[in-house]
Amino acid sequence: MSAGGPHPAGRSASHGVLRLGRRAFPPGQPLVMAIVNRTPDSFFQPGATWAEPAAIERVHQAVAEGADVIDVGGIPAAPGAEVDVAEEIRRTAGFIAAVRSSYPDVVISVDTWRHETGRAACESGADLLNDSWGGFDGQLAEVAAEFGAGLVCAHVGRQQPRTRPFRVSYPDVVADVLAQTQALARRALQAGVQPDRIVLDPAHDFGKNTWHSLEVTRRLAELTDTGWPVLVSLSNKDFVGETLDLPPEHRLPGTLAATAVCAWHGARIFRVHQVRETRQVVDMVATIRGDRPPARAVRGLA
Amino acid sequence: MLIAAALCPAPPLLARELTGADPVLPELREACREAVDELALAGADVIVVVGVAAEQRTFDPRARLDLSAYAPALGDRAAGGSPVDSPLPLSVGLGARLLDDAGYDGRRRLQSVGAGTPPMACAALGARVAAAAPEVALLVMADGSARRSRRAPGYLDVRAEPFDAEVGRAILAGDMPALLALDDTLAAELLATGRPAWQVLAGATAGRRPSCVVRYSDDPFGVAYLVASLSLG
Repeated sequence: MSAGGPHPAGRSASHGVLRLGRRAFPPGQPLVMAIVNRTPDSFFQPGATWAEPAAIERVHQAVAEGADVIDVGGIPAAPGAEVDVAEEIRRTAGFIAAVRSSYPDVVISVDTWRHETGRAACESGADLLNDSWGGFDGQLAEVAAEFGAGLVCAHVGRQQPRTRPFRVSYPDVVADVLAQTQALARRALQAGVQPDRIVLDPAHDFGKNTWHSLEVTRRLAELTDTGWPVLVSLSNKDFVGETLDLPPEHRLPGTLAATAVCAWHGARIFRVHQVRETRQVVDMVATIRGDRPPARAVRGLA
Repeated sequence: MLIAAALCPAPPLLARELTGADPVLPELREACREAVDELALAGADVIVVVGVAAEQRTFDPRARLDLSAYAPALGDRAAGGSPVDSPLPLSVGLGARLLDDAGYDGRRRLQSVGAGTPPMACAALGARVAAAAPEVALLVMADGSARRSRRAPGYLDVRAEPFDAEVGRAILAGDMPALLALDDTLAAELLATGRPAWQVLAGATAGRRPSCVVRYSDDPFGVAYLVASLSLG
């Protein structure tokens, strides 16, 4: 169900169909991407899905709670113990194959900046390369093109993988996000990635202080107005924690508030730890926008 | 002269678009569809849609219901491409939609009757409507009490059940004088909004006794819904 005429929010009605794997997602249908970390040391619930049985169990739970995409990562974003290519592939590729065999139709994404890992993931059944370090390895786009996979084009400013922002500044952070993500999208097109499989990600917290991430959230419509599908990764991040002065385990309400704002502005993919709560928020906002009907309306109508 | 009539309720949720993803009462819509299909097959010169509204009047036969009054988000899609400015009141508009859904493209007349119209005035309107053509069919859009349970829109009134039972009995038996005898004050207190429309039907039968098939009779949301087909032959 899609509204005709100008969108009630006045924003971002121009998106087309997004294709990921075998699936096609029309505009107005928000996707929840569940984070499944194959790491012992990620910042949120560290090590919770380090063991493969726990990771598979997390996938079952995420799908049951309404996840459309499973995002598998083998390296934390934060600095720490070195994870080389072989180890990253060992952590992710076999697991991706296991998820694929259990769920032939679920979209599988791999969170990596390395083309070698991207290739191994695609060979194991991944549909989307979540290049969260913003094109650090230019060959990742070529791997996406070769396998017909999708590519996330993220803004990280001038950050190198696994580094923290240090006194970063921008004349206009949103302008920088727009320029860098669209440049990456153009590069992806030139590499042969299919245009309906390219996604922009402003990458909250990456190369940004909290003020920058808040500004990107406030002005997300400028990104969705480009017409590219937009992914947001807000889940329990430091900009939420600093805003509310809360540690990671208490950041869900703040995360959901930011999720609602981004959904209102037309973001299409929400990368999260807590699937059930996010599904409810994005479905509620989609319905307020007029993109999705209520599940069941009878109040006052009998 | 009246040759057939169909009786359908007029809740907004009869419009499938308004209930969201869940069809809510598909069996009610199916019963209405069957009743209206049969009415269209009666081959009358005109089908007159009768429904209760704020005032008595006729409407441009091209007019339609504007669902956006009930669901603004439905916007342009809900207007149904109504080619005239003034949209129909709910009851008449839902009747027009039922005719559209049945593919009926014969002559139609859209008639409202005022909610406070006294019984004898309703009967007189019915007699005039029945005289509009040699063979007239009526689509009567009317609801029973909205006070049938604690969860009903009008909360529970213990008088609702016997009132609706009497209406149902009279319709099933073709007892038109009993419909004319309904207490309009009581009906109003019970939020039985269909009372004037039933009495238009009674007036249109001109003393004859229709035979009746009841297709649906229930109150899933505390409002009495009745779907029936009546024939006079």
